Amino acid sequence: MRDAEIDEALDRAAREPHQVPGELLKRIGESIGPSLEPVRPLPPTWVLTGALLLIGVAVALAFAARAGIHGFEALNVPARVAIFGALAVLTCLAAELLVAEWTPGSPRLSTPAGLLAMASVVLFGVFALLFHDYRVDHFVSAGIACLLTGLACAAPAALLGLWVLRRGWAVNPVTAGLVAGVLSGLAGVTLLELHCTNFQALHVIVWHTLVVPVSAGVGAILGWFVQRGRALSSRAIR
Amino acid sequence: MARYQAGDFVAARALINRISPALHRFLNAQCTSVADADDLLQEVWLRIHRVRQTYRRGKPLLPWIFAIARRVRIDHYRKSLRSTMREQRWDELSATATDSLTQPQPADTLDELLAPLSESQREVLEMLKVAGMSLEEVARATSSSVGSVKQKVHRAYRKLRQSMSLVELRKGQTGVVP
Repeated sequence: MRDAEIDEALDRAAREPHQVPGELLKRIGESIGPSLEPVRPLPPTWVLTGALLLIGVAVALAFAARAGIHGFEALNVPARVAIFGALAVLTCLAAELLVAEWTPGSPRLSTPAGLLAMASVVLFGVFALLFHDYRVDHFVSAGIACLLTGLACAAPAALLGLWVLRRGWAVNPVTAGLVAGVLSGLAGVTLLELHCTNFQALHVIVWHTLVVPVSAGVGAILGWFVQRGRALSSRAIR
Repeated sequence: MARYQAGDFVAARALINRISPALHRFLNAQCTSVADADDLLQEVWLRIHRVRQTYRRGKPLLPWIFAIARRVRIDHYRKSLRSTMREQRWDELSATATDSLTQPQPADTLDELLAPLSESQREVLEMLKVAGMSLEEVARATSSSVGSVKQKVHRAYRKLRQSMSLVELRKGQTGVVP
């Protein structure tokens, strides 16, 4: 059996007419008729992506302005370029993917899981290359403080991001939540790099990087609840 | 679609009439009855209606519609799976699956042809063959890459080749044995 024969069999079967009852089509038309009002399409992808980027940067800067940018001041220029360059690229990718997640039928540059893995590996690699102080003073207490600070910055970034995307529709709420978590987690890491002066390698590698997967996990769990809510509401419609 | 977004009822009706047959066929594959597929089609259009602002003018329409339909179908599948699990015992399920594997039937309709395929392979072929979408459009509708779609098509064809060859073989055997 050759591919051409399979093609032919599939085409033949697909050509068979498939009738939908006229009564059903009429009913569908009537059900949407009363609420048929003009709607404004979503803005272009670049506008939404740009807005998400601005929100991430603005929230991180607002938190840093309050807490102080001592970490940024203590870094040398190559370290600043490497860290904030990597954060900028990752944030652009996350914002682009988040807009795609909230717009059905959009093309994607990467998958949500791929983005999370890439963000974690890139941050881990950049921090491992730049920081060489291997002491571990107050590893857990200082680490948890940084993790909570990063997550505290991620929460408003995520909420404002969702407000920008409020007219969109997440095809898969779990993966959309995960990507929103990655994006807001990156805002949290940006704040930590601006503010934190603890340059011990393990502290930065473990606790600063951990903000992204933790934030992504929280986003995915919230997305799962949204998905459950959607299933319940669709059951109520039927 | 642009006229539908602008609130034109005639355009909305025309769109429903034009797209519904392909959508109904796509949804029917996972339903136990035609009435179930009818319900699902109605739910898809309600969902499309609610999120119609997410379609951007000038972008391909079918990936947008099928992405929504696919999500409704997945939600329905999960729901029905939960209720089926409650009602049917595992041993009954495996017995049914074994029967369908060991007794291949000649396939004439699309549903029968695609029966041996997994759900993801099946939906990709349905979009390509029934809806007439391109590989890139299928990738958009399924939130995956073109490479991943190509791989699914390749695997689906391999499985179909095996299944159809088996049917041919059985046909030949029944013709020889009196």
